[in-house]
Amino acid sequence: MITRQFGSEVRWMLRRPRTLIGLFGLILVPIIISFGIWSAGEGDGGPGLGAILNGNGMVVPIFTLFLSLNLLLPLVASIWAADGLAGEAQHGTLRGLLVAPVSRVRLLFVKLFGLTAMSLFAVTLMAVVGIIAGTAFLGTNGMMTLSGTTLSTAEGFLRIAFFILLVTFQMVAIGAVALAVSSTTEHPLVVQAATMTTIIVFQVLGQFPSLDWLHPFLITTGFPGLIDVMRDPIPLGQIWDSTLLAGCYMLIGTGLAAMRLITKDS
Amino acid sequence: MNKRKVTLAAAAAGVLTGAAGISLLAMPAGAGQPPSLPDIAPEKLVEQVLTSKPGAFGGTVEVDNKLGLPAIGEIPQLADGKHSARIWTDGNGKLRLALPNGQSEQTIVDDGSTTWSWNSQNNEVTKSEHKADKEVKPENEQKAIDPATAAKEIVNQTKEFSDISVDGTARVANRAAYELVLTPKASEKTLIREVRIAVDSELKMPLRVAVLTNGTAEPAGTVGFSQINVGPQDSKLFEFTPPANAKVTTPEAKEQKQRHEPELGLEQALNGKDPQIFGTGWDSVVGAKIPAEAMTHVPAEAQGLVDRFTKKVSGSWGSGKLFTTKVATILIADDGRVVAGAVPEQVLFDTIGQVK
Repeated sequence: MITRQFGSEVRWMLRRPRTLIGLFGLILVPIIISFGIWSAGEGDGGPGLGAILNGNGMVVPIFTLFLSLNLLLPLVASIWAADGLAGEAQHGTLRGLLVAPVSRVRLLFVKLFGLTAMSLFAVTLMAVVGIIAGTAFLGTNGMMTLSGTTLSTAEGFLRIAFFILLVTFQMVAIGAVALAVSSTTEHPLVVQAATMTTIIVFQVLGQFPSLDWLHPFLITTGFPGLIDVMRDPIPLGQIWDSTLLAGCYMLIGTGLAAMRLITKDS
Repeated sequence: MNKRKVTLAAAAAGVLTGAAGISLLAMPAGAGQPPSLPDIAPEKLVEQVLTSKPGAFGGTVEVDNKLGLPAIGEIPQLADGKHSARIWTDGNGKLRLALPNGQSEQTIVDDGSTTWSWNSQNNEVTKSEHKADKEVKPENEQKAIDPATAAKEIVNQTKEFSDISVDGTARVANRAAYELVLTPKASEKTLIREVRIAVDSELKMPLRVAVLTNGTAEPAGTVGFSQINVGPQDSKLFEFTPPANAKVTTPEAKEQKQRHEPELGLEQALNGKDPQIFGTGWDSVVGAKIPAEAMTHVPAEAQGLVDRFTKKVSGSWGSGKLFTTKVATILIADDGRVVAGAVPEQVLFDTIGQVK
């Protein structure tokens, strides 16, 4: 029963034209990055991961996701969360769902599942396109890490898979909070605006050293630490902290959304 | 209706758990209860530290630096703030160091016969074969970062000029440790109030070194393990193969390339003209004379850097520039004489006349 609802939710999301356009936009990112690095040629690729991209196409998916996590992926997650509840309320279809003899908590979990499945799909799609584009433009010889070691292709795929999971988790955490906002309004744009404003404000706050007491509370503080996936051996400390922080955001978002849905008049 | 209340309560509990979780994550990890260990005489502990051979271990070293040093491009780890490094050793001279710097990383691997140094920022590997007589440079870096080596050196040098005591116990990187405290004797004219070394109760290996200066409660600098696992390490960690498309150079070639960099000129001058040492113990002062040509060849930008971090001073000994940090003072006279030490500036003014 619930699997059928899960399936229909994902089908429903995939049928929206803006979802398809969004996914198409996402796969352009790794292609543009690979092309850009390729046409820039040799030389210092810049700080961080950019510096080791030359001749190292397997890093492109990780570089792409790492960059996109700052703005693009939260935006995508917020769109899906906005459509999930606020969008349905706007079309009047949420009313039907709320009065149906289906538990409202179950409704929320169906929405969360749709969000998770679509996030995983989008992130995996970007990674796969990244692997193909990176290998095509930049070539590959296993995967070179930030520590200067070279991993075999199989190990490289494992790292990419691990990073896909980590990024999806962050995305779903943001989406869960966006769902909580989504449950309070009938305007999907409000949800997107609120989520993106929060993410941007968090990142600005993260720039001020004088606010360092505040930084551990911001979900965006956990993003840069995920780069540790590209170190060898992987230090799990920061990755674990970021994931726990995202988990807390997920709990808060889901809890607030559930409270709102339960008390909502149909 | 009742079921609805239960779900509502569960949802509220979820929100509270999440909020509590974030607050817990944001709190700095507590030091935990100090362990109770059998008493030990400080001299005995020092002796055990000096004779112990740290075996194989791997761990993360945190450096908390409040020395007040300016950021230098070459070694960002020296700048004020918190830095971490990962270290692995097999206990027989093989070593791996990983120094993250933002999203880049510097890796130093010593496989017993060759030292490899890799920098992800410029995709460059520096390879230096060990020479029998000359110490290789990365070992200096190793000393600075590895608490084991750092503390042994301190204990060795200061035994006769300091009071040594054991001040309770501490838990460092989840291991029980004695707090060994070195206090300079009252006759020593030094900036340093005390040096606290947390010594592992089992391995007798220093786990943390903290330097406290006069007039501050917080340590000016702390180097210590935040995580350590003792035991044999994966032997693959002590091998290094340069990545396929990396530039491999030797330190000699690199030095040639960097000869024009300003800071290095000063550094070479300080290293090269065998330094003279005045005094003994905590207030000993190192002096040297920079050749006149090196002084005049300082580029304008370097001069600006020097001016920004120093203050002009003068006295019966002449005039010059004074560079002050919490633990050390450096005096550069205009005629090229340089003195430095963990001492107040007055000691330097008194000493500089002896520099030849």
